[in-house]
Amino acid sequence: MFSLFYGFWKYMFSKTEFHVLILGIDKAGKTTLLEKLKSQYSNVEGLPPDRIVPTVGLNIGRIEASNSKLVFWDLGGQPGLRSIWEKYYEEAHAVIFVVDASLPPRFEDAKSALEKALRHEDLLGAPLLILANKQDLGEALSAEELARYLDLKKLDERAYSYEAVSAYDGLGIKESVDWLVEAMERSKRTEMLRARAGLTNSGSS
Amino acid sequence: MGIVFTKLFASLFGNKEARILVLGLDNAGKTTILYRLQMGEVVSTIPTIGFNVETLQYNNIKFQVWDLGGQTSIRPYWRCYFPNTQAIIYVVDSSDTDRLVIAKEEFHAILEEEELRGAAVLIFANKQDLPGAVDDASITEALELHKIKNRQWSIFKTSAIKGEGLFEGLDWLSNTLKSGGG
Repeated sequence: MFSLFYGFWKYMFSKTEFHVLILGIDKAGKTTLLEKLKSQYSNVEGLPPDRIVPTVGLNIGRIEASNSKLVFWDLGGQPGLRSIWEKYYEEAHAVIFVVDASLPPRFEDAKSALEKALRHEDLLGAPLLILANKQDLGEALSAEELARYLDLKKLDERAYSYEAVSAYDGLGIKESVDWLVEAMERSKRTEMLRARAGLTNSGSS
Repeated sequence: MGIVFTKLFASLFGNKEARILVLGLDNAGKTTILYRLQMGEVVSTIPTIGFNVETLQYNNIKFQVWDLGGQTSIRPYWRCYFPNTQAIIYVVDSSDTDRLVIAKEEFHAILEEEELRGAAVLIFANKQDLPGAVDDASITEALELHKIKNRQWSIFKTSAIKGEGLFEGLDWLSNTLKSGGG
């Protein structure tokens, strides 16, 4: 009985591989976040922040958390590179949008990049986690303050959350991952992606 | 506990070795890049039939760099060098826009090779010093880099003649290799 239940459990959860896109404008801290995720959740030693260079392409991190496999895609955020973001939307289960909360002058840029991403039909229904990053810096705004600044409309049709984090010292990372996993497990989009991958079967009914 | 320290020590001070293949169409600038990296100067080269191999020490990594000839007739032999490769440097002549389609096809054929599955991919949009050279965003588009989803990639604008962009690329490569590969 136990093994049956265990088998079912494993079948339901251990094979789920979630793709999470890490987006945000340049210098938001996306790669630092990725490396922190790797250090905290896998036995791979992440790069120290001072060695991280601007990303021109794709960095990947694979971790396991709450019985799920998460694959993070960290894409470069410089204006010329943002055009490739949308090429990754279709296969993404969720989006993390990283904002440097200590730098209000760039909020407008972040807001328009995020709104553009959210308008894209390939991201329909994808859970969205907005990170008010760089909380290790004294002047960083809280998650609530950032939410007020960004003032995003029409978020109702997707699961979303704001979280105050520091990719530098790890504050809020665990809470963020927990929220993401739960949101993805409940998301209709996950079912849709699973169906498209041809993995729908008795397990999900 | 001892293992933790060993690992920590190795990650901090250890010398890793990495086997790197430099690939690309003929006349992309592969050999010039190899010697620019290794000796820091521009050497005059002739089309490579076969390969050149050099080692260079950078960022605590000992790179063993294989530069393979890029002419059509000898490209089939590239695969003899694929096993145990940690990374590929794919060199594109950014001014040779007519052949970007061929460059793309060769590139994606390489990516499909089983033996290179785990290899990280660094793209050099080379010959930026030439008039008519297109930028990194255009090369990204032309090579359809966005189709890569299972490994890390990065592109750099380079000029092997001027020595620009090459070491920035190697920085990325050494970071990538240190933080767990492709």
